[in-house]
Amino acid sequence: MIPDDPDGELVRRVGEGDVHAAEALVARKLPRMTALAHRLLGDRTEAEDVAQEVFLRVWKSAAAWKPGAAKFDTWMHRVAFNLCTDRLRKRREVALPETWDAPDPAPLADAEITAEQQSDAVGRALASLAPRQREAIVLTYYQELPNREAAALMGIGVDALESLLARGRRALKARLEETDE
Amino acid sequence: MSEMDLNRFETLVAAYGATPSRWPEEERDAAEAFARTDPRARALLAEADSIDALLFAHKAAEPSRALHAMVVEAAPRKRRLTGRARLWWSGLGIALAGASGILAGSAATAALEPISANVQMYTHDEVPALDYSADENAESVQ
Repeated sequence: MIPDDPDGELVRRVGEGDVHAAEALVARKLPRMTALAHRLLGDRTEAEDVAQEVFLRVWKSAAAWKPGAAKFDTWMHRVAFNLCTDRLRKRREVALPETWDAPDPAPLADAEITAEQQSDAVGRALASLAPRQREAIVLTYYQELPNREAAALMGIGVDALESLLARGRRALKARLEETDE
Repeated sequence: MSEMDLNRFETLVAAYGATPSRWPEEERDAAEAFARTDPRARALLAEADSIDALLFAHKAAEPSRALHAMVVEAAPRKRRLTGRARLWWSGLGIALAGASGILAGSAATAALEPISANVQMYTHDEVPALDYSADENAESVQ
């Protein structure tokens, strides 16, 4: 077990069939996995399907979990990330309408914008980013993965990650300014 | 501490934003020192901070209760005995209890055996004559 893996002990107990440990792991990770999938896929129902699939794999693997170089959280991220990219690939294969990730043209109410409206606007702007920029931003900002872990998950180097992040941030700002106008 | 110049600081802030805790650990100290000492850093940080604020305005959906319940329900549990297995183990328990009763009975019998083992059993005809000589000798001594 990786000594500083904060989930290692919990996973060991899950593997022994400890239901309380399973509930604790769900409380700790289910919101995280759902948020990751929601931001990558832009669809809540699909995000919940992915999160459920991730946990089915966790339950199957917990008893045999032998940590190597990766922390359990990183492993979960890899599973969720791969499930999301598979779904995104299938979407492209069936040629979804162009409007899928287009920003909502409806302008935001200026002074009275609510937190919910602002969240929706950022969500639409995120969805409109190039997929790799969105992945880099979601992993680094929302999932708070260290840059090396995020880059490894995406199969790129840290320099490439930084480039995607910078371009993604600029594009996001530009989209939100467009919708404000 | 790693080297930090305006070019690298700009790249760092453009990628990771204005919050030092998000900067790469190995460059954090140098970048923070640069931010404190170089006046050009302030404008870069202000620009990055406005984008950070936009990013963190986004709230992802919480998992539904139904999803939470389904995931917990599917979790592995310590094995419980099925009806048939419970019956089998009960039968085994009864058998073991019976066996231990028999063993306990045997042990008790064995414990009593030394007393009865010294009692010789005779048929009526075989009863030996009583020998009082020892008693007589005892009396003569008195």
